Amino acid sequence: MKNGSIISIKNVTKRFPVGEGEFTALKNINLEFQSGEFAGLVGPSGSGKTTLLNIIGSLDSPTEGEALVLGKSISKLSHKESALLRNKHIGFIFQVYNLLPVYTVYENVEFALLLQNIPKVQRQKMVMEALDWVGLASMADKKPDKLSGGEGQRVAIARAIVKKPVIVIADEPSANLDAENTYAILKTMRELNKNLGTTFLFSTHDEKVMGHLDRIIHLRDGAVEEDEIINVKTLTK
Amino acid sequence: MIQFLLKGILRDKSRSILPIIVVSIGVALTVVLSAYMNGAFGDMIDQNARFETGHVKIMTKAYAKNIAQLPNDLALLEVDELTKSLEKDYPEMQWVNRIRFGGLIDVPDGQGESKGQGPAAGMAINLFDEKSGEAKRMNIEKSLVKGMMPKKNGEAIIGDDFAKKLNVNIGDEVTYFGTTMNGSMTFQNFVVSGTIRFGAAAIDRGVIMVDISDAQRMLDMENGTGELLGFSKLNIYEDEKVEFLASNFNEKYADDKDEFTPIMMPLRAQNNLGEIIDYSNYMSGIFIFIFVFAMSIVLWNTGLLGGLRRYQEFGIRLALGEAKGTIYRRLIMEAILIGMIGSIVGTLIGLAGAYYLQIVGIDISGYMDNSTMLMPSVLRAKVTFELFFIGFIPGLLAMVFGNMLSGIGIYKRETAQLFKELEV
Ligand SMILES: Nc1ncnc2c1ncn2[C@@H]1O[C@H](COP(=O)(O)OP(=O)(O)OP(=O)(O)O)[C@@H](O)[C@H]1O
Ligand SMILES: [Mg+2]
Repeated sequence: MKNGSIISIKNVTKRFPVGEGEFTALKNINLEFQSGEFAGLVGPSGSGKTTLLNIIGSLDSPTEGEALVLGKSISKLSHKESALLRNKHIGFIFQVYNLLPVYTVYENVEFALLLQNIPKVQRQKMVMEALDWVGLASMADKKPDKLSGGEGQRVAIARAIVKKPVIVIADEPSANLDAENTYAILKTMRELNKNLGTTFLFSTHDEKVMGHLDRIIHLRDGAVEEDEIINVKTLTK
Repeated sequence: MIQFLLKGILRDKSRSILPIIVVSIGVALTVVLSAYMNGAFGDMIDQNARFETGHVKIMTKAYAKNIAQLPNDLALLEVDELTKSLEKDYPEMQWVNRIRFGGLIDVPDGQGESKGQGPAAGMAINLFDEKSGEAKRMNIEKSLVKGMMPKKNGEAIIGDDFAKKLNVNIGDEVTYFGTTMNGSMTFQNFVVSGTIRFGAAAIDRGVIMVDISDAQRMLDMENGTGELLGFSKLNIYEDEKVEFLASNFNEKYADDKDEFTPIMMPLRAQNNLGEIIDYSNYMSGIFIFIFVFAMSIVLWNTGLLGGLRRYQEFGIRLALGEAKGTIYRRLIMEAILIGMIGSIVGTLIGLAGAYYLQIVGIDISGYMDNSTMLMPSVLRAKVTFELFFIGFIPGLLAMVFGNMLSGIGIYKRETAQLFKELEV
């Protein structure tokens, strides 16, 4: 692992059992991510974007090769250890914002901290801070069904970021948003990336998203077709 | 975290209302049924004890063998001496003599001709000595329909229906015909001081009650009695204690082959009461088991439905890094919270129902007219301390058990599928 490298994918292959045989979703992938990157996986449907994010997010493990995340080898983690890794260091943003409907905006964001047993006073401060970042502090007491799509996704960002994770993983975060909202959430994430140094990893089809990325990794049929570095500045910072 | 879960339970009505309803109904039914069975069986045992069996009963071995025929020729003799030694050996018990006897009641008119006749079910107890507690034990004062208790020898109470049938009024004279202990004919006139209805068909039929001294005289049973009944002075029937007492007493006479040696029988050895006691315990157990089982199945299913509805929630929680075991444990914690709410509500409803049935009771006298079993005519529930647990604990268990089963699904979730599952 290089200095500043937080994710290191070495010769990772992922196969899924399909019927009698197997399907190879990732083929001998080698990638390295530095702390503070704002990078995206791009590629046609079925190219392996979600599969790779799953492995980095410790939701799945490679069939062959090694995936090191924050120095931990994903395939060696027990279920509990991988849960702990996610709990402490990884934030997730989904295509649909997936807020818990019975809880308020505030409580949805707070939940990530409850899982870490953070004391109430500190929780309060952190939740309001996170809601501030996404510009929704005034909506703290609203229920998710009262929010617009863009607002919902911003609450989901606040939930992912409130615990100040090292990595945020977002699988097609803009798929359900219009141009305006996509721009707004990307701007928010970019700011968080700059101010907190959080590493963001996306998967996307979305041209609008690609335009904001520092690095675009093109996947095709489970292999890296091109690793395109656009903004070297953030990478060498 | 508990607070967080509680908020979810309270706000998500579909998560809480149905299980709470199921648990409360089950618990309430358990409580009411237990109370009712306790009450009904308890009353039945109590009534049997008071009227027939005592907590223990001493007879001669021969009398015990033929008890259905009320064989007073096989009666216990030298009863005073026996009673004295019993009082010494078992000071916690009170001992009373009773003679039951058959015969005929004849009602003469003014000319000495018979106006009416009927078979008598005679019962002689200590009516005059208040210390014996017999009048109170048999609730005579309150069961009187007309007239009053006998105050002196030669007076009798007869069953109210019997009196009507024979057209007998207070102050009228009736004649008892029967056989003495030695087998000779005897008759005795009694003035009717009152009429009585106990409300139990088995004893009301043809009853005539006289003082024990009258019976001893007319049946030639001086210092003798058919039955010597023992009651705990606290008037609480304790199965095991009494059992022990009886075996202790009987041990002393174990080697005696004489058929006139006394034998002590505990309540449960008489009138099939043992079976009834066991049956009542057994039935309570079965009912509770059935309720727990049925509730568990229903709650398991509601748990499964809840699990489906909360599929997304559990997925998010897994993604956020909550371990499966932790989610499972918290699910059980929720079940405990919901189960407690349901159990408390159910227990309160059940207690209210039990209390109502304790006051009102269910009148079964219509079914008991031809019964020889000594049963109270109104069966009442009995509210006891154990009712607080008897429904509460099974209710809680059923909820927890049902959710333990349904929650297993969490362990089947593949974290690798979360993105796909959460993206629909
Ligand atoms: N559990 C699985 N079992 C079998 N095949 C799978 C499984 N998960 C993914 N695949 C296959 O692996 C390939 C890559 O899937 P993946 O979801 O990573 O694609 P993707 O790039 O995210 O596509 P999309 O843009 O449609 O989300 C696909 O062909 C998919 O069918
Ligand atoms: Mg995908």
